[in-house]
Amino acid sequence: MKNNHKMFILIEGALAVLVLTLAGVMLSGNTSRNRDKVSVIVQDSDDNQWAAFKYGLQMAAADQEIEMFVVGTEGVMSVEEQESVIEQEIDNGADAVIVQPVPGTDAEAMLKRIENSVPVMLAGSTASLEKEASALPVTEADNYEMGKTLAEEVLKDYGGNLKGKKLGIVTQTSESEAAVNLRNGFESVTEDTGAVTVWAVEGSFGEEDEISLDTLPKVDLVIALDDNSLTAAGAGAAANNLHGAVVYGIGNSTEAVYYVDTGCVECLVVPDAFNVGYQSLTEVAESLRNYFHEAGDRTVSHTVLRRDDLFSKENQELLFTMSQ
Amino acid sequence: MQKVKNKYLGQLKKLQPRGMQSTIMIAFSVISISIMLTLGIVLYVRFSALSRQEIIQTTEKMMEQTGETLEDYLVSMRQISDTVYYNVVKEGEFPDQEREIQSGMNLLYEANGDSLRSIAIYNSSGSLMAAEPVAQQKEDPDITHQDWFQQAMGELENMHFSTPHIQNLFDDGTMRYYWVISLSRAVELMENGESRLGVLLVDMDYSSISRMMNQINESNSGQYYYLCDSNGEIIYHPQQIQIRDGIVKENNAKAAKYKDGVYDETLGRENRKVIANTISYTGWKLVGVIPYSTFTEGMLNIRYFIAMLMLLMAMMLVVINRVVSVRISSPILKLNESVKAYEAGEKPEIYIGGSLEIRHLGHSIQSSYEQIDSLMKKIVLEQNERRKSELDALQSQINPHFLYNTLESITWMIEGERNDDAAFMISQLAKLFRISLSKGSTVITIRDELQHAQSYMNIQKVRYKNTFSVTFDVDPEICSYCTVKLILQPILENAINYGVSGMDDCGEIRVKGRQEGGRVILSVEDNGIGMSEEQVRLLLTDSNRVHKHGSGVGLVNVNNRIQLLFGKEYGLTVESEPDEGTTISICIPAVPYTEENRKILEQGYGFGGEEMIDRENRGNGDEEQS
Repeated sequence: MKNNHKMFILIEGALAVLVLTLAGVMLSGNTSRNRDKVSVIVQDSDDNQWAAFKYGLQMAAADQEIEMFVVGTEGVMSVEEQESVIEQEIDNGADAVIVQPVPGTDAEAMLKRIENSVPVMLAGSTASLEKEASALPVTEADNYEMGKTLAEEVLKDYGGNLKGKKLGIVTQTSESEAAVNLRNGFESVTEDTGAVTVWAVEGSFGEEDEISLDTLPKVDLVIALDDNSLTAAGAGAAANNLHGAVVYGIGNSTEAVYYVDTGCVECLVVPDAFNVGYQSLTEVAESLRNYFHEAGDRTVSHTVLRRDDLFSKENQELLFTMSQ
Repeated sequence: MQKVKNKYLGQLKKLQPRGMQSTIMIAFSVISISIMLTLGIVLYVRFSALSRQEIIQTTEKMMEQTGETLEDYLVSMRQISDTVYYNVVKEGEFPDQEREIQSGMNLLYEANGDSLRSIAIYNSSGSLMAAEPVAQQKEDPDITHQDWFQQAMGELENMHFSTPHIQNLFDDGTMRYYWVISLSRAVELMENGESRLGVLLVDMDYSSISRMMNQINESNSGQYYYLCDSNGEIIYHPQQIQIRDGIVKENNAKAAKYKDGVYDETLGRENRKVIANTISYTGWKLVGVIPYSTFTEGMLNIRYFIAMLMLLMAMMLVVINRVVSVRISSPILKLNESVKAYEAGEKPEIYIGGSLEIRHLGHSIQSSYEQIDSLMKKIVLEQNERRKSELDALQSQINPHFLYNTLESITWMIEGERNDDAAFMISQLAKLFRISLSKGSTVITIRDELQHAQSYMNIQKVRYKNTFSVTFDVDPEICSYCTVKLILQPILENAINYGVSGMDDCGEIRVKGRQEGGRVILSVEDNGIGMSEEQVRLLLTDSNRVHKHGSGVGLVNVNNRIQLLFGKEYGLTVESEPDEGTTISICIPAVPYTEENRKILEQGYGFGGEEMIDRENRGNGDEEQS
């Protein structure tokens, strides 16, 4: 009799615990799940070159059910400025950050510090000059390979013979891994072809208080190793300020494509910026979801655009991502 | 192994319900919870089916609405094209009325600028005739090789909707590229008074369509909608770049072949419902995809709700089951407790309560116990009587008067020098006592009993100087059966004392013995004075009668002893007629005398005689067989 009573109390107690647990689960299920927040910090975030990248981020955010926010930035940032922006984002509740590292030797150390508190994914370039030495995961195109592709396209146009051809190389910085590898890749192909690099300039171009390409000595070929440089070179070519030099380069903005379309740029190598955005955020989402998942490097492809096949079906889709 | 087995079996045994209450409760709980589970599952399945149907219907309605909106949009584009053609182009002539044509086009463009990218007219060689908004044409857009131009020129009578593409016509100086859907048709142009073929192009802004599609793709439940043309080329898909890059797969080629309706399909490992809706005129397919996971996700709350309901019902059922089981078992448990108390030696009232059946049970148990009590009392009484009878019989064995008279008779014989008679008397007396004692046995053979009777009669005949005669007419077959000892002697004593003692030499006593069926009948007949009916009735019932003569062992004692040993159906019967004589019959079962039977009878095991008779009958049967 006594045992029966005990058993009865025990069963009722167990059922009550189950009811309470279920009620808890139901209540927690009803309150919307807090989505992870990822902040994206790139330089000059409103620039056209980030359109495909941002579209990729957007798509990945929708697929991975992540809240993504691209921090509005203008112009070139210093390491300290970038650090303060990142910290501000972390204070605002960012669970991870995707960063285009600013050129500079201190960038990697700064980002390593940040990584102690939240996962960090680099986009477009590593923070260290050597990709292999990078301590942080990066999603980027194979810059060295892109440089080589660009050089091969140049060679193709000149029948493999660049003897006596004068080259001018334009880049925004020489202190980033992307710029270094692009140039190394380019030069690995052109070094024995007889081409002579007359000048190699770095910095921002085209604006009034900055370097103007028309003041530089005449060259046969202008090689622009990033989107800003290419649009500047394209604009120069459009304004006939390059003394007839043919422009080749790397870029991923509609302006860059426009210059190819108008013939101001002969050939453009386009990194798949959509996938830089998509894959970097996917990787970050993975590491946020799975504590034991260590984010790794991801490499995206690149495409060669020329005026003739600019509007082929494949290239139209590339343009679609850039036009978002 | 055995140890483990024993251990688990032991645990199982421990688990077995011990009480009736827990058995009832467990049985009720198992049944009710099983019913509840079945009900819950059926409810869930039903709800799930309804919910699925609801989701599908909602999706179908939404697709219908979106399809209609899309159709309206496309119709409006066609109307623009018609208006440009019939109201503007056909009304004017190039180049004279180019300004009027341009202004007509401008009006239409301004009215529909939100959804239009441009309106342009080309002649058959691809030269631009007019365009709105006015923009610089690209250097060499290669119009004649563009798909929309070729389609229009290929099928002159139709309007053609292209798939989305980059507009490669104008340079508006913004350095931007526009994603458009082209509606092209062949038109008749008047140029310099001549009718020429041309192409009217209406470029629709893709963003209008993508906006419509984005609106219905906002849900995060996993279901989505996409648009493809009749060849499966994707026009809009929420993940179209991922599909291009191979990150995501889609069954668009298959979906393009679907007729309007709902289909089940599998993509990768995912099962999904696909709803196809054809957009009229264009042949485009609006496809709605509902992965099965969406249904499950939608059912999550219902699942929780049903689980909660079942848990609460289980709690309630446990309470109800307990109340019911207590109600049912309580009277039985009380009854059990009172029976246990009775068994423990107390004498409480047996519990009578609860339902009708339990009350009946209580009454039955109580009356059983009462019967047992009265039977026990009866047995004790009978045992006492038996002991008393045996004691009486024992006393009769050494009846001092009989012994004194006999010894006196012997003394007279010796004194009268009738030594032979004296020796005969002594030998008869010796036989009498030997059989009386019978080594303490109560049960002897009929042969010994007859011998005892003969010895007694021989002695009595001497004492009564042969005033009566005695004959023994006994079937020798019955001699080996069992009988209670000293049952004939009191009857013979009565026959002498009350029957023939007063008669002069004509008294006759006949002892007969025979077997009838399974019974042995021994009778003593005399031709004495007989008895009235009243006397006969009192003979076997009045045990307090004072014996005038004899050993003092009455016929009541004989009757009692026979019935105590063999059962109530056996005993004495008395038949008597005044002045005619008396016959007293002894009826006993025909039980062959063996040591085993004797012991059984003496210990009272065969009380009532049934067991013994059965065994004996079997024994007889065996004997007959052998």
